Amino acid sequence: MSDLIGKLNSLEGEVLAQIAAAKSSDALEQIRVSVLGKKGSLSEVLRGLGSVDAAERPKIGAVSNQVKAKVEEALSRAKETLGSAEINAKIAKEKIDITLPARSLHLGSLHPVTQTVRKITHILGKIGFDLTTGPEIETDFMNFEAVNIPKDHPARDMQDTFFVGPGVVLRTQTSPVQMRAMREQKAPIRILCPGAVYRADNDATHSPMFHQIEGLWVDKGVRFSDLKGTLQFFAQELFGSDVKIRLRPSYFPFVEPGCEVDVSCFKCGGRDEKCSICKGTGWLEILGAGMVHPRLFEVAGYNPNEVSGFAFGLGIERIAMLLHHIPDLRLMFQGDVRFLKQFL
Amino acid sequence: MNISMRWLSEYVELSGVSATEVARILTDRGLEIESTRSLSKGFEKVITVKILERNKHPGADKLSLCKVSTGSGEPLQIVCGAQNMKAGDIVALAQIGAVIPNGLKIQESKIRGEVSFGMLCSEEELMMADEAEGILILPPDTKLGQPLADVLGRNDTILELKITPNRGDCLSMIGVAREVASALGKKVLKPQVTELDFKGAKISTKLDAGDQSLQFFGCEIEGVKVGPSPDWLKQKLESMGSRSINNVVDCTNYLMFETGQPVHAYDASKLKGTELSIRLGRSGEKLPLLDNTEVVLRDSDLVIADAERSVALAGAMGGGNSEVTDSTTKLYLECAEFHAVTVRKSAHGHDKKTDAATRFEKGIDSANLGYAISRLKDLIIKAAGGKVTGSTKTIHPRHPRLTSKKQIVFSPEYIREFLGVTTSDAEIRKTLTSLEIEVDTNKPLWVAVPPSYRNDLSIKEDLAEEIARTIGFDQIPATIPPLSSVPSGVEPKLIERAKDILVNQGLNETLTYAFNSRSWLTQFGLDSGIKIQNPLSEEQEVMVPSLIPGLMKHHIENENKTFGSDPLAVRLFEIRPVFTQKPGAEIRAVGETDTGTTETWKMAAVISGPRFASSMKVHQERVDFSDLKSVVESWFTALGTKGIRLRSWDSGRNLTHYSKIFHPGQTAEVWAGKDCVGLFGRIHPALAVKLKLAKDDVWLTEIDWNAVEKLSRSTLSGATFAPWAEFPTMERDFALVVNADLESDRLTGIALKAGKPLAKVAKIFDVYKGKPIAEGKMSIAVRVIFADPTRSLAEAEVEKASQMIRDGWKKELGIELRS
Repeated sequence: MSDLIGKLNSLEGEVLAQIAAAKSSDALEQIRVSVLGKKGSLSEVLRGLGSVDAAERPKIGAVSNQVKAKVEEALSRAKETLGSAEINAKIAKEKIDITLPARSLHLGSLHPVTQTVRKITHILGKIGFDLTTGPEIETDFMNFEAVNIPKDHPARDMQDTFFVGPGVVLRTQTSPVQMRAMREQKAPIRILCPGAVYRADNDATHSPMFHQIEGLWVDKGVRFSDLKGTLQFFAQELFGSDVKIRLRPSYFPFVEPGCEVDVSCFKCGGRDEKCSICKGTGWLEILGAGMVHPRLFEVAGYNPNEVSGFAFGLGIERIAMLLHHIPDLRLMFQGDVRFLKQFL
Repeated sequence: MNISMRWLSEYVELSGVSATEVARILTDRGLEIESTRSLSKGFEKVITVKILERNKHPGADKLSLCKVSTGSGEPLQIVCGAQNMKAGDIVALAQIGAVIPNGLKIQESKIRGEVSFGMLCSEEELMMADEAEGILILPPDTKLGQPLADVLGRNDTILELKITPNRGDCLSMIGVAREVASALGKKVLKPQVTELDFKGAKISTKLDAGDQSLQFFGCEIEGVKVGPSPDWLKQKLESMGSRSINNVVDCTNYLMFETGQPVHAYDASKLKGTELSIRLGRSGEKLPLLDNTEVVLRDSDLVIADAERSVALAGAMGGGNSEVTDSTTKLYLECAEFHAVTVRKSAHGHDKKTDAATRFEKGIDSANLGYAISRLKDLIIKAAGGKVTGSTKTIHPRHPRLTSKKQIVFSPEYIREFLGVTTSDAEIRKTLTSLEIEVDTNKPLWVAVPPSYRNDLSIKEDLAEEIARTIGFDQIPATIPPLSSVPSGVEPKLIERAKDILVNQGLNETLTYAFNSRSWLTQFGLDSGIKIQNPLSEEQEVMVPSLIPGLMKHHIENENKTFGSDPLAVRLFEIRPVFTQKPGAEIRAVGETDTGTTETWKMAAVISGPRFASSMKVHQERVDFSDLKSVVESWFTALGTKGIRLRSWDSGRNLTHYSKIFHPGQTAEVWAGKDCVGLFGRIHPALAVKLKLAKDDVWLTEIDWNAVEKLSRSTLSGATFAPWAEFPTMERDFALVVNADLESDRLTGIALKAGKPLAKVAKIFDVYKGKPIAEGKMSIAVRVIFADPTRSLAEAEVEKASQMIRDGWKKELGIELRS
């Protein structure tokens, strides 16, 4: 009897020593199988139990259970220790340099002109304007005569025109779109007409092709003060709620009265004599506007005694240059990816 | 139009009113100020001095050592490099601390060992002349120690005005003075004249061009002495930026600047016969002009003619054959009115857009000719002497403006409603009166009669503007107009979504010009195109029939701007119209809106370079057809475009105008319904060579956006949910060896047809060419997915369907399975 107990005790000592010496989870697993498995050394020892006196057996059984429990506990502790060491080793081995460049996808971008048109249409959409477009090659009639610029009128000198055929021009302004819209629908009318326009002019500040957006609001009882309020709302939404607008009387054949509209410098507010945006003037000229000339209503088939309206037009590139601090108009049309990719 | 503040103050009392204040008044009233320039700027420390001694500089042959006197105190020593002065001359000294007009700062300095207490100035250094030989020598009676600006009459500020085409009346000192006077509540001081009596003329005047010749006033003067202009005249013309010619011609210009009425002086001894007429030109007739050019007249030109020939291009320029010269003693003064459009056409047609023509075409004051010629006569007699021997006038009997006065009927209530203001009746009346507009307020509807010089006032809106600009646009309230109908709101346009999808694919939107050069388009085989008749340059001559040439130009410019070894990715797109002539139509206006042209919106893109934006070598695989196909297909998928089919391009049959642009073997046709609406594929290798591209794997597409838009889902409706199968699907993979030129969609198409109704999806998942597959063959792997939305499938029925697919391939393509 003591023989078996002695064997169990010495097995315990041996196995605990093995466990302590084990270097990996795999070695521990081998130990577990060789000791606790069906053909393991513990079962081997207990096979001698048959020759032991029945009265002794419970005692030996208890010792055997104790040995088993101790081995299992030692195994589990060792496993934990070794396991975390192994994970740590794996982690250390798998460390990467996160500062290396990414396998990045190309990022697309919208042209600043498109972005600016969207900004403007979003703002004016809030107060009921809808979008409409028209052709870029127009008749002389639609581009000029219908908007009160008769043939041989000095106002024709205000715009240098490209001609493509007898009575056919590249539109110099988006105003013909207004006229098309008025001929197609009845008042009330609230539209925005963005698009490319063309003038025979090419230097640092003029491009032969550029973009305008024109707004038109026609209804019963539209007042000059409504034009002012609309433009003030627009300017404050676009440039910031603290900007002011200034209307200066001017002349455009399709409106009466007509005005040029300045917005107070959104950068310096007129406080910086060397301001790069307003050049120290405190004001930025942004658009032309006025009350629709009754002659246009006549051409459109409206009764000028029943409706009135206002119109305004602005150069989109100019606004885009202001909003994005773009120094040179020509960058807009060069397709340089170093430029385009900045406007994500 | 330049306005000299000093000259302006002769017509409106301006004491205590600064140039800045006048500039503000004019701006507020609609006369734009382009610049404000003080003529004395840079003259602040420049004074008159007398040279007492001129000696050689001991250390330099070319320099002089001068002693100058300012009239008081010790003489100053000045080193001077000029050679044209002598002791006793009165000259201009820029004192220490001056910053003269050319920007030079004057400091006390030592020049070759001699101290100089300032600099003697030349006209060039004072920016009074473009070049000068030597320093400015002043008249010997000039007082010493005076500011040079005073001596030269330069204490003046010039406002440069930009006059809008409707305000021809403000192309004159008196016109501008009227605006200032109205704002300040003052009177315009029109110079007093001795009115001519229009009697006793030897030469009669005749209107011989119907309604195009409106008025002709003439005046004969004898005994004038032509010579240089007196200072008062010269200085005023210079302040207008006009060159002094002689005392007579200068007076005519003076009168025009003062009143806005162009006039002309002839040498009366050179005029033939006893009658001058305004008549139409005789076609082919030659007329030498004062600028030493000769024009060949057309029968639409108006001229002034004597008994034998034309002596002036009416309204634009006088003739060389009747020019006033130094020997002239007899003058004939012409003051006339012509039809504005005729003058404009003549001046533009002969490229004589003179100051006079500008004033005529914008409209002169028809009621002011008598005053103007009388004033001119006074000026000439003052500047050049002589006396009037006769004068005459002829006025068109049905002159449109002189025979009836324009009346504008309006109500003050209308003004208030139209402007959104509360201005009282009395204020409205007072404002109009201050602008010399007569108002009859005795009836409920008021009647306004504008002054003769305001040709721009004809409708009640014009009166509203007069009120608005007088009370000030800044005094108009800001109101938001009420919405009388439900706003439709800005519907998100499909084109914007189309752009967004391309942006999401990593493309950059660009903008190309709508015109390009003929030669560039020819490289792309695009020979037809709408020509601009007056292009700025050959580079911008033809309206583009395709967006691709412009995009390729941007592509190449990007290539040229690339430095270093990182491969360049160019991924550009654009959605813009292209322009073509309507088949069978001419490009000319027909009716009000037809131009004979068609604008078609296109989506075009170019992609090339590395697939990823990474700089790591391992990721620098280049984009290929598959990337381009992904861009195009994803675009259609995301737009919800229905009914798009792709086919291999038959370059001899469909969209043949692209045959020099796309690679015939690596390009797909895009079909929408019955129309082939675009292509996508590789650039044609021959084009790549012609364009000198660094690499020829450049991928292009151009698709008709108008066609795609019609088949796409509206942005408002959005996508519709489609349920997926709730029962498990089954898959079968097939490996086939087929001819290498077989298009894979033949296999998938047959599979779906033959495997009906269970075969739902068929897709290619592998293609292999090379050993051990025979030359000219390829191994291709097809996966078919079987499903029934209502139940699970049994092995046997899938097997049966698979067999039908195999049979289909065998029957239609004659191919057997690989294993």
